Amino acid sequence: MTQHAGFEEPPGADEPIGVPYRAGRRTALRVMVPVAVAALAATGIAVVPALASDSAPALPQVTAEQLVTKVLGGGTSQPEAGGRTQALSGTVRVSTDLGVPAELLAFVQHGGGAAGVAGTAGAAGGGQAKAHDDSGADPTSRLSALLGGSHTLRIATDGPDRQRVSLVEDLAEYDLIHNGDQAWAWDSGSQQAVHYTGLRQGRPDAPGQLPGDVPDTPQQAAQRFLADNAANSDITVAGTARVAGRSAYQLSVKPRQSGSTIGEVKVAIDSATGTPLAVTATASSGGTVFDSRFSDVSFDHPAASTWQFTPPKGAKVTEQPAGAHQRDGQGGSAGHGGNDVKVTGQDWTTVVSFQLPASGSPNGSPSGSSSGSSRAGQPAHGKAPRGLENPAELVKSLGKPVAGGRLISTKVINVLVTDDNRVYAGAVTLPVLQAAAGVK
Amino acid sequence: MSLVEAAEAAGAAPRVAAGPDRATVSGFLALFRSELLLTFRRVRTMALLGALAALPVLIGVVVKIETGGLHGGGDGGPPFLAQVTQNGVFLTFTSLAVALPIFLPMTVGVVAGDAVAGEATSGTLRYLLVAPAGRIRLLAAKFTAALAFCAAATLAVALTGLITGSVLFPVGKVVLLSGDTVSLGESLLRMVLIAAVVAVSLSGLVAIGLFISTLTSSGIAAMAGTVGLVVIVQVLDTIPQLAAIQPWLFTHYWLTFADLLRHPVYWDGVLHDLGLQALYVAVFGAAAWARFSSRDITA
Repeated sequence: MTQHAGFEEPPGADEPIGVPYRAGRRTALRVMVPVAVAALAATGIAVVPALASDSAPALPQVTAEQLVTKVLGGGTSQPEAGGRTQALSGTVRVSTDLGVPAELLAFVQHGGGAAGVAGTAGAAGGGQAKAHDDSGADPTSRLSALLGGSHTLRIATDGPDRQRVSLVEDLAEYDLIHNGDQAWAWDSGSQQAVHYTGLRQGRPDAPGQLPGDVPDTPQQAAQRFLADNAANSDITVAGTARVAGRSAYQLSVKPRQSGSTIGEVKVAIDSATGTPLAVTATASSGGTVFDSRFSDVSFDHPAASTWQFTPPKGAKVTEQPAGAHQRDGQGGSAGHGGNDVKVTGQDWTTVVSFQLPASGSPNGSPSGSSSGSSRAGQPAHGKAPRGLENPAELVKSLGKPVAGGRLISTKVINVLVTDDNRVYAGAVTLPVLQAAAGVK
Repeated sequence: MSLVEAAEAAGAAPRVAAGPDRATVSGFLALFRSELLLTFRRVRTMALLGALAALPVLIGVVVKIETGGLHGGGDGGPPFLAQVTQNGVFLTFTSLAVALPIFLPMTVGVVAGDAVAGEATSGTLRYLLVAPAGRIRLLAAKFTAALAFCAAATLAVALTGLITGSVLFPVGKVVLLSGDTVSLGESLLRMVLIAAVVAVSLSGLVAIGLFISTLTSSGIAAMAGTVGLVVIVQVLDTIPQLAAIQPWLFTHYWLTFADLLRHPVYWDGVLHDLGLQALYVAVFGAAAWARFSSRDITA
């Protein structure tokens, strides 16, 4: 390139003397180089994964029933039948786009939620809620963060008694580690841990076994969802797909009932192990509202150190002994009466209702969770955040007036707040909510 | 010895004797050395590095004075701040996390933006090119010197963070983000790795700065343009409606260096970051070449 060192180049556009006629073309050619590099990179990045995922693998034909059996059998209830899928580890991307107003999300995250969804507002705390109310490691408040945006989870499981879920955050991490009869919740941001002891062993399907009750791995979400909704859904096999580099069947589940705002749920099921690798929910109005999928997965036994957790020096540890937690585990129904949380309808058209406190009550504003894809109506306790003196007014201010009250409408979750401060919520259309509320 | 090998040996011998490759390499090294000296002998560069080094000292002293008030306050404030009082090593991580979004790119923007345009401003660019160095080699030398500054700037923050932290606070085993505790030795190893990742994270910005620097003859304009771009891109990175393009912004994965503090280490974000930086270097390096090699140098 030494020939370019001097003044061989044209002196400038306004000085045409001595301009070689091909200089302009050479410049144009050079400009093409970075453009070409960018274009090459863009096509390489866009096309290669597209090619990889578009090439639907050829798999033997199965019926929807066989697939559902494979999923449910390969999971929790029969250890020997599902031995192959008992151990796995991997990375899961969870994207949720419910269109929930940010204020409401903040409200939910502080444990006073009115629009819990997909079981993320798990039953934690129970009567002990006050004990670790301000703990950053409280699973309920932390996992409800999954209600919005994209998150990365690292999960590992080995048998019914060992699970670990790590929520990978910017410069922080939140961990749930379940090992035998004890479990830890760890929040790196606040350096706080909650220690659960005396858990029942060998009962993986017991509700509330793992604190926080994380359903956001594709596996758990799909198993629960299929178990709960199989009876009222049209289930078909919709081709094959590649997820995390593995061949999978696509199972399409559509509600048979009308009145649900969920249009379709697609579950990608690993052809070899029957492990659900991806769950995607689409609103009936169109658009993906929930997407949880493995980006990489391994069926090897994770290292034993995965299940070990020792609270680091200087961390604040909250003990959560057995009595409180076991009651919590069975507390699904017991909690209903005490907190005035009612569940009406079933499956796709489940509606959860509860009474909002008229003014800020210092302890335990009741809340409920509702969902088309998981067990509905687990009560979650907690305080309203300090700034929210009057949750009823806040919730109402977000809604638009409809017959019978105010409606907070999101892509899938609709919440009706009646004039007498009763909240009806569900992944259902407004008429279903109004019927549940008795509005003409 | 076969005929082919003999021919090869015969062919290779005169090439080594003539040594054009060697000349290129040593020529580049000489150019790089002069660029390096030019960069680091400047009072301005020293002032930038000094300001970066002052940042951990400032944070450390403030935390030391305010220790009473910080206990129990988990949220708010820079990351890892709660741990600093218990373990001085965390001052390095806090300082890097604070410096990476603003201070580090600002200094890098100044150095990279000034690289070519500064020479044009002071009227020395044409003399540089009169020497038979070649424009590509000059550009490469400027780029490498700016990368060296990235490393120096990151080291300035990390080292003063480590020194200040160990002077002001107790030092011991480090608690990772995942709650695991690792020995001091391993944490220092991870710190070196993090510093390297942070320095390389800035290479995309260096390429952009160099490209902007070839666009103008005003050093100030190139610096302001580069630093302004960093600010704009970071603002874009926070707008939720732009989620589709955010993974392509060069600042998007900067803070993934903290993934090296997990157990097991979570590589996805870091690898994304390094890949993206390589892409930016390729595109903007090519753009800088396209502009600089066909530009008329009038200053």
